[in-house]
Amino acid sequence: MITSPRWSVQLRAVVRKEIRQTVRDRRIMFMLIVAPLLQTVVFGFAVDFQFDHVPTLVVDHDASAQSREHIRRLLADGTLRDAGHTTELGAVQRKLQTGDAAAALVLPEGLARAFAAQRAAEVQVILDGGDPNRAVVVAGAASRYFGEAAESMVKERLAAHGIAPPPLIRATPRIWFNPSLKTPPYMIPGVMTILLVITTTLVTAMGLAREREMGTLEQVLVTPIRPLFLLVGKMTPFLVIGCFDVLLVLTAGVWIFGVPLHGSLALVATGTVLYVLCTLGIGLLISTVSRTQQQAFLAGFLFAMPAILLSGVMTPIRAMPFWLQVVTTFNPVRYYIEVLRAVLLKGAGLVDIWWRLLALLGFGLALLTVASLRFHKRVA
Amino acid sequence: MSELSIEAVHLSRRFGSFLAVDDVSFSAARGEIFGYLGANGAGKSTTIRMLCGLLAPTAGEARVAGFDVKTAPESVKASIGYMSQKFSLYLDLPVRDNLDFFGGAYGLSGPDFAARADEVLRLCDLEHERDAITGSLPGGIRQRLALGCAILHRPAVLFLDEPTAGVDPVSRRHFWRLIRRLAREGTTIFVTTHYLDEAEYCGRIGLMVDGRLVALDTPAALKRRYVPGRVLSVRGRNLASAAASLRSRPGIIAVEPFGAGLHLQVAAENWNADSVAQALASAGAQAVEVESGEPTLEDVFLAVVARPREVRHD
Ligand SMILES: Nc1ncnc2c1ncn2[C@@H]1O[C@H](COP(=O)(O)OP(=O)(O)OP(=O)(O)O)[C@@H](O)[C@H]1O
Ligand SMILES: [Mg+2]
Repeated sequence: MITSPRWSVQLRAVVRKEIRQTVRDRRIMFMLIVAPLLQTVVFGFAVDFQFDHVPTLVVDHDASAQSREHIRRLLADGTLRDAGHTTELGAVQRKLQTGDAAAALVLPEGLARAFAAQRAAEVQVILDGGDPNRAVVVAGAASRYFGEAAESMVKERLAAHGIAPPPLIRATPRIWFNPSLKTPPYMIPGVMTILLVITTTLVTAMGLAREREMGTLEQVLVTPIRPLFLLVGKMTPFLVIGCFDVLLVLTAGVWIFGVPLHGSLALVATGTVLYVLCTLGIGLLISTVSRTQQQAFLAGFLFAMPAILLSGVMTPIRAMPFWLQVVTTFNPVRYYIEVLRAVLLKGAGLVDIWWRLLALLGFGLALLTVASLRFHKRVA
Repeated sequence: MSELSIEAVHLSRRFGSFLAVDDVSFSAARGEIFGYLGANGAGKSTTIRMLCGLLAPTAGEARVAGFDVKTAPESVKASIGYMSQKFSLYLDLPVRDNLDFFGGAYGLSGPDFAARADEVLRLCDLEHERDAITGSLPGGIRQRLALGCAILHRPAVLFLDEPTAGVDPVSRRHFWRLIRRLAREGTTIFVTTHYLDEAEYCGRIGLMVDGRLVALDTPAALKRRYVPGRVLSVRGRNLASAAASLRSRPGIIAVEPFGAGLHLQVAAENWNADSVAQALASAGAQAVEVESGEPTLEDVFLAVVARPREVRHD
C-alpha cells in the first residue's frame, strides 16, 4: 500500500492557499473587514428605537393661559418637539401626511373653563400609526403628563379643603441591564450576529462553488487530499476572520455606542467560535448543492434572511405565532444572539447559557458532518 | 507492482441513458506513451476521469499503478499526475504558490520538497516565472506549469487531457520533449490530443468513436491496416469535380479533401502518381501536381471515423 500523505501537511497547504487567495482578493477583504465596521456604525446610528424630539403639532382651540402652560410643560421634557401651531384640521392632516409632524395635540375649546367648573375635560392626541414604535412613545408621553397633571390637581383641591391626599399606587419602573433604554447595546449584538451569518456563510458557499466553476476543484480532487481536511482547511481562515470581525464590532460598539461588557469575553469567544462553525457548515452545505457562484450566493441569502428574521435579533420571538417559535428552536442564529445579549448585557455565566452553547456545538458538528458526507459523494 | 501501469477491462460509463464510454478495454505498460484519439464528445475525458478515480465506472474495472480505481481510488490518486482538459490551477496566485499548494496536497513538505520544486521549475523552464501571477502567463507557459504541478510527487502514471490545446507549435514541441523525457525515465503517459502530428510520438494509439475504442495499435501498424495501398497528395485547380469522376474507378480506395488539395488512397498495383495526374487532367482538372506520400495518422483517423460500423464488428 501507498502510505497516505500526512494530513497535517495537507491541512496546512489548504489553509495557506486559502489565506493567500483571500488576502489577494480585495473584494473579499472589503467584505470581511471594512463592511463590518461600516455596518456597525450605520446600524448603531440609524437603527435607533429611542424617540426624542418627535415633531408634534399644537392645536390649541382653548388658547388660554392654562392651556399654554400645559403645552409648555408637556414639551419641556424633550420627548416631543413643537412643530408649529394651527387650529385647522386640514393643516394637521397635511403635516402628518408629509411627515413634517408625527403627532398632533388637540386641546379643546373650554378646557380652562372645564377645569374651573370641575368638569371632566378631554385632550386629544392624533398619532401617525405608520411608525408604531414612535406612536406608542408619543401616546405614552402625553398620557403620562396629563395623568400627573390630573393627580396634582386632585391633590391641590383636597389640600384646599384641608383633606390629606389618599395614598396612591404608583408603578416605579427600574430598568436593569440597560437603564437608559438605549438602542445600541441591544442592537450591536444583533449587528455581530447578522454580519457573521452573512459574511461567513456567503464567503464559504461561494468559495467552493468558485473552485467548481473554475475547474480547480477537479485538480484538487485528483490529489489524495481527504475531503474533511479540505473542508476544514478552507474554513479555518474564515473562522479566524469571523472572530476578528466580532472583536472589531464589539470594540466599536463599546467605544462609540457604550455597549456594556458585563460578562466574560471568553464566553463570548466560545459562543462565537461555535456559531461560526454553524454558519460555515451551512455555507459548505450550500456549496455542495450549488454548481455556480451565483446559485451559491442566492442560496446563501435565501438561508440568511429567514434565519435572521426568525432569530429574535429584530423582533422578539415571544411575539411570533407558536409554530414559528417552534421553528426558531432549529435556528443557530437564535442561540448566538441570546448568548451575546445574555453575556454582554446581563453578565450571564456559563451556568445560564451552557445549553445554548451545546445547541450551537450540536448544530455545527451536524452541519459539518452532512456537508463532508455530501461532498464525499461528489468525488466518486 | 505489475508490469502493466494501466489496465482497463470492459470499462463503461453511463450518464443517464447516454453511454459516454462503452466497454473499453486496453492496457499500457510502464514507460509507454499511450495516445488516445477521438472526435469531440467521443469519451476521452470520461475515460481519463474514471482512470483517475474522479468518476466511478458504471461497469467494468480498471487498475492504475497497481490499484483498483473502484476500491482504492485514494491510492490511485497518490500515484498519478493529472492535467485536466481545462486549465485548472489557481489563476489568482503566483506560480510558486500553486506549486506549494499542490505539493502540500500530495503531502510533500520541508527541504526535500523545496528542492523538488526547484527541480520541477528548472525542468519545465519556469525559473523566471516563479513570482508571476499564473493568470498573466501565456497559454504555453501555463501548460508547462500544469505539467509541473502534476509531476511534483513523481507519479508513476501521468494523465494528460489535451495538454497542448491552443498552444503555439514551438511550445508544443517543447512540451513533447518534456513528455518523452518523463517516459524515458519510466513514467507511463496517457495522453489525449487532437493534433495528429503529436500522436506520432506515441508508442501506441487508441482511437475512440462514440464511446467505443475502435482501433488500438502502434502508429505504423494503424497506417498499414487502415490506409493500405499508396497515398497520393494532389494539388491543382478544378480538383473537386475531377475527383468525383475518379471515385468510381477501380483501385481508388478513398478520396478525401486535404487542405486546398486532395488525399488519394489508391491500390498500388493499379495506380501511380503519373497515371493519377493524367486521369485527373482528362477529367478537367488543371495544373495538377501529384506527389506520393506516406500515410499520416490523419488518413487513419479519417478512415476509421468514416466507417465506424465496419470497424466495430471486427
Ligand atoms: N458529467 C456528465 N454528465 C452528462 N454527460 C456528460 C458528462 N460528462 C461528459 N458527458 C458527455 O459524455 C460525452 C463524452 O464526453 P467527454 O468529455 O468524455 O468527451 P471527449 O472525448 O473528452 O471530448 P472533447 O474532445 O470535446 O474533450 C459527451 O457527449 C459529453 O456531453
Ligand atoms: Mg475531453
